[in-house]
Amino acid sequence: MREQMLKSILSELNGSSADIEASAVISSDGLTMAALLPQDVDEDRVGAMAAAMLSLGERTARELARGELEQVMVKGENGYILMSHAGKDAVLTVIARKDAKLGLIFLDAKRAAKAIADIL
Amino acid sequence: MKRLDNKIIFTGPVGAGKTTAIGSISDIPPIKTDAAASDMTLHRKSHTTVALDYGVLNLDGGAKVHLYGTPGQERFDFMWDILSTGGIGLILLLDNSRPNPMKDMQFFMNAFKDFLREAPLVIGVTKTDVKPSPSVKHYAEILARVDQRPPIFEIDGRNREDVKNLVMALLFSIDPGLEG
Repeated sequence: MREQMLKSILSELNGSSADIEASAVISSDGLTMAALLPQDVDEDRVGAMAAAMLSLGERTARELARGELEQVMVKGENGYILMSHAGKDAVLTVIARKDAKLGLIFLDAKRAAKAIADIL
Repeated sequence: MKRLDNKIIFTGPVGAGKTTAIGSISDIPPIKTDAAASDMTLHRKSHTTVALDYGVLNLDGGAKVHLYGTPGQERFDFMWDILSTGGIGLILLLDNSRPNPMKDMQFFMNAFKDFLREAPLVIGVTKTDVKPSPSVKHYAEILARVDQRPPIFEIDGRNREDVKNLVMALLFSIDPGLEG
């Protein structure tokens, strides 16, 4: 039930912009709760990686006096990975194309994260 | 001591006490990355390490030992590779109260087998007060069958001296002339 609701938020998010290729909701200890990822992606590993990145980002932000972490962004040759908190105990991961308009994606991701936090 | 900075890695299954052990011996406030547990871990404890633990142990004579702790769950095995790069030795903590600590030992020794080809291993067995068997001797016998003879200790991860002994045993096996 909850997974269905999360999935519908994710599919709305993926549909909101052609630049968003995939997304997932992950518990903060790295387990996938719902995902719309390409078939060849291992959900468990992506989940664990997102949790590790976000947790390190949080510690780094605090260590360098940047306050509470809002998001972690990774940029590769082929595009972006954006991770942000969706409530205290979950992570929203968004995978976007390389020519994506980041401002819009931030906005969509923030909206989706809020909706996810409300469900959890 | 020749090298001034050394990096050692603490690994082992969930709940073996890696975070606690690093917290016990670190001379700086340890860096922890723990998150609320939602998996099977929840039966054992409320929080679990998701990226790494980090601490520093200062030895007499000015040498520094950087202590890195890994997450325990297998889904974080990419962190095992990342953290063990550049390390000079491995401390494997085993939780004696888990269903099959012997299997845990074999699992982690296999997961780190490439690393252990180049670097020594020391084993610390925790929670022997909760469950006394298998004994340290039993672990040693099983390892001897595959021609492995790492130092094995019964330890309490909350006890600074216990954990420091593990680290010193590891450093001695790298450099027997070391003075702690």
